[in-house]
Amino acid sequence: MPESWRRFLAGLLLFLAAGGFVGWLYGHTETGLLVAALAALAFQVRQLLAFDRALRSGNFDAFRHGEGLWAQLFSRFAFLKELSARDKRRYRELLREIRKSTNAMPDGAVVIDNDNEIVMCNRAAKQLAGFRPKKDRGQRVDNILRDPELAELLVAGDADMTVEIESPVRSGDWLNCRVVPYGADQKMLLLRDVTERMRLNKMRRDFVANASHELRSPLTVISGYLDSMDEDETLAEWQMPLTQMRAQALRMKKIITELMELSRLESAGRAGTADTVDVAALIDSACRAWQGRPGVPAIEVDADAGIRIRGNGTQIESVISNLVSNAIRHTPVDGVITVSWKRSKRGAVLGVEDTGEGIAAEDVPRLTERFFRVDRGRSRDDGGVGLGLAIVKHILSRHDATLVIDSVPGEGSRFRCQFPKERIAETPVERGAARTAQG
Amino acid sequence: MEASNLTDHISRRFNKDIEDLRNNVLTMGGLVEAQLSRAIAAIVSGDSDLGLKVANDDYKVNKLEVAIDEECSRILATRAPAASDLRLIVAVIKTITDLERIGDEAEKIGFLASQLAAMDRPTDSYRELKYLGNHVLDMLRAAMNAFARLDAEAAIDAVREDERIDDEYDAITRQCITFMMEDPRSIRRFMNVTWAARSLERIGDHAKNIGEYIIYMVQGRDIRHTEYLDEIESKTE
Repeated sequence: MPESWRRFLAGLLLFLAAGGFVGWLYGHTETGLLVAALAALAFQVRQLLAFDRALRSGNFDAFRHGEGLWAQLFSRFAFLKELSARDKRRYRELLREIRKSTNAMPDGAVVIDNDNEIVMCNRAAKQLAGFRPKKDRGQRVDNILRDPELAELLVAGDADMTVEIESPVRSGDWLNCRVVPYGADQKMLLLRDVTERMRLNKMRRDFVANASHELRSPLTVISGYLDSMDEDETLAEWQMPLTQMRAQALRMKKIITELMELSRLESAGRAGTADTVDVAALIDSACRAWQGRPGVPAIEVDADAGIRIRGNGTQIESVISNLVSNAIRHTPVDGVITVSWKRSKRGAVLGVEDTGEGIAAEDVPRLTERFFRVDRGRSRDDGGVGLGLAIVKHILSRHDATLVIDSVPGEGSRFRCQFPKERIAETPVERGAARTAQG
Repeated sequence: MEASNLTDHISRRFNKDIEDLRNNVLTMGGLVEAQLSRAIAAIVSGDSDLGLKVANDDYKVNKLEVAIDEECSRILATRAPAASDLRLIVAVIKTITDLERIGDEAEKIGFLASQLAAMDRPTDSYRELKYLGNHVLDMLRAAMNAFARLDAEAAIDAVREDERIDDEYDAITRQCITFMMEDPRSIRRFMNVTWAARSLERIGDHAKNIGEYIIYMVQGRDIRHTEYLDEIESKTE
C-alpha cells in the first residue's frame, strides 16, 4: 500500500475514532461516529466537486499547494498532461517534417483509401492535376481527375500498370499515373510529369518515319537505273558489280519498308477486336509458300483450326512469316521446323520450333532490339534485316500477347507467342482436326 | 463521403444511392471531356483515325446517359427525396442531357476532323480552332470540377466564360468568311472549319447550362434568363 493511501486511511480512522470518543464522553457513541462519518463524507464530496470544477475550468489553484490525496491526484494529473502535450508537439513537428518532404517531391502523390477517396495529397499533385489539398479531402479521386483511363486503372488495382493521361490544368502536359497499394487498405496514386519523355519519343518516331520516307525516293531512282543497266548488252563486264548493287539496293528497300512498318506500329494503338483472324489458315499459307524450295528445311505444321483470335489479320500474318523465315535462316537444310497453334491454360500459343544452331542465353533478352545480331561477323546476305523480331514484339504487344524465347545452343530454339483468353474469339466453329503437312 | 452535406441521411442506402449517382455523373463528365479532348487533337494533328474513333465512341456516352436517367427515376420513385436531394436529382437529370449533347457535338467534331484530314492543311494547323477548343475544354472541366466540389462560385466563373467563347467563335467565323472570299476553292474546307467552331461554341453553351444547374443545386436559386450575374458584378465593382 503506498504511503499516501496509508496516511489517508489513517487520517480517516483517526477522525472517526475522535468522533466516537466525543460521543462516548456524552454517552452516545453511535451518534458521534455517525456525525464524524457524515462530516468526512461531506468533506470528500466537496473536494471531489472542487476537483471536477478545476478540471473544467483549468484553474487548479485550490490543489496546487497542500497535502493529501487530492493534491497528489492533481500533481499526477498535471504530470500526465504535460507528458501528452510534449508528445503531441513532437508528433506535430514530425508530421510537419513529413508534409514538408512530401511537398518537396517533384512527383504528385495522393493518398487514397479503399473507396478511392482522397486522404491527403502533396503540393505537386495540386500543381500537376489540380487537386486541392484541403478542400478535396473525402472526394473520390476519379471525381476530380476524371479521365476514363485512370478510372480503369483504379478498378484494375494493378501496381505494375501505368496509364498516361493529359493534365487537366496544364494543357498539353502528360502525366504518368500509377496506383501503389500500401498498409492495410490504403493506396497511393503517383503522378509523374512525362511531357518531356513523350515529346522525345514522338520526335524519335517522327524522325524514323520521315527519314525512311525521304530515303525511299532516291533509292527508287537508283534501283530503276540499275534495272535498266542490267538489260544493257554493252555493260557485260559490269555484270558482277551490277548484280551485287541490285541485291544491296533491294536489301536497303527492305530495311526501309520494315522501318516504316515499325514506326507505323509504334504510333498505332491496340489492335481492334472487331475482326477475327483464322490463324491456322495463315500458318498454312505461310508455310506452303516456303515448303519445297531449295535450301529450306522440312516444315511441320500442327495447327488447331478451331481457334481464332480477335485482332489484325495482316499483322498476325507478319508475325508468322517473320518467325518462320527467321527459323529457316537459322536451321540447316536437314533440320526440322515445327509450327504449332494450340490452346493453352491461359489462352492460345503460337509456337515456332527449330533444330538450328540456337542462341546463347545472354543474347536472348536482346533479340528483339532493332538491328541486333547474335553473330556480328555473320554474312548479311542471308536476307535478314534485323528488324523482324522487333516487329513481332510490337505486333504482339498490340494484341496483349507476349513473346517467350527458349533456346539451347547447338540444339535449337523455340519462339512462343502467348495470346490471352480475352483475345480468343469464341465461335461455334467445330474444332478442326489438327492438320499436318510435310515439306 | 463526409465532405458534402448532401449525403447526411439516416438511411445509409439512400446515402449510397445519392453518392453513386454523383459519381456516375462525374464518370460521364470525364468520358465527355476525354471525347472532346480527342476530337480537338484529331483536328489539330489531322488524324482521321482518331476522329473516327471519337465518332464511333459516342455510344458510350449515350449508354451512360440512359443508365443515369433510369437511376434518377428509381430514386425519385422509391425515396421521394426532398429539398437539397430533390434539387440534386433535378440538376443531375438536366446535367446529363447537356453532357449527352456535348458528346454529340464532339462526335460531329471527330467526324469533321476525319474529313478535314483528307483536305489541304493550313500551315498553322488550325491554331484558332485549337485555342477555342482548349478554352471550351477548360470551361467544361471547370464546370465538372464545380459539380464535384459543389462550388457555386467556380460554377459562376464557368458560366461567365461563355461570353468570351462566343467572341472567339465570332472571330473565327469572320476569318473563315475572309478566306472563303479570297479563294472560293477553299469554301468546302472552311465550311467544315466553321461547323467545327460552331460545335465548339455549342459545347460552351451546354457547359454554361451545367454551371447554372450547379448554382441551382447548391444555392437553390434559378439564375437562368435573369440578371443575377449582372447583380453580382455590380456588387463587386
